[in-house]
Amino acid sequence: MKRIIIADDSATARMFIIRCLQIIGLGDAEMIEVEHGKEALAAAKKQPVDLLLTDLNMPVMDGETLVKWVKASPKLCDLPVIVITSAGNPAKEAHLMELGAHRVLNKPVSPPMMMDALADFIEE
Amino acid sequence: MNHKPLHEAMLNAVRQTLENMAFMEIMEGDQDYEIPVDEAAWTSMLIHDPVQGEVRLAMPKAVLKKLTGNIFGLNEDEITENQMNDIINELLNTIAGLFMTNLLPDEQEYQLGLPELGEEELPEVDTDTIVWKLMTSDEEPLHLFASGASLVALKSN
Repeated sequence: MKRIIIADDSATARMFIIRCLQIIGLGDAEMIEVEHGKEALAAAKKQPVDLLLTDLNMPVMDGETLVKWVKASPKLCDLPVIVITSAGNPAKEAHLMELGAHRVLNKPVSPPMMMDALADFIEE
Repeated sequence: MNHKPLHEAMLNAVRQTLENMAFMEIMEGDQDYEIPVDEAAWTSMLIHDPVQGEVRLAMPKAVLKKLTGNIFGLNEDEITENQMNDIINELLNTIAGLFMTNLLPDEQEYQLGLPELGEEELPEVDTDTIVWKLMTSDEEPLHLFASGASLVALKSN
């Protein structure tokens, strides 16, 4: 069973992401919901994780800092990170990809958008 | 700074957000309607960069409750205040991001704050505030405000 961390300070946003994951066939995955980057990092270190979906704009630790921490960690650096943000544009997207994000998606997320971003992950 | 029309940028942001999140169409509303003070639910968000300003989303509490029920798939008696607060904040968070994306050139980065629920009465509309009085396909009012001299100045550039 795949294990996916969803980091967003909004319960509504997490619910939308989980709905999208269920629609695209990842309903059996274990979804670990956290409210900010620090919690996401702790959850990822605690147990093996297959995917991290994170918001950008969060209190305590934002998504950009989370990407930097994940990619700097020898234990987590191979973990695919997808950033889902309401504050995205091509310049920001390029910056996040340079930091190591696998993909950057703009809110509001939709199942086709998620399917496109996770096609490789689903096939594995 | 080159930018796209302010009015359309907001209208498209609200349309895209409500259609995706609540399966609701959005149109221009009654321009004379004011949300009664004691019925208003609202939230605001700062825009830090490259212009400084604030965006606010307001609607009657009853409309917010209905929206929350639609989005979470709950009956009205099951809806909590936390869920309503989270929905209005996430709606504005998404609208504000799309608004800036629509407004600014592609290469222009921007920085937004976090949504903050309004505890007091809605601030008065001054000369540095633009208002969008919109409504859903169920004719429920939804008002957006953008304020701050440097943000509003984009209207006339």
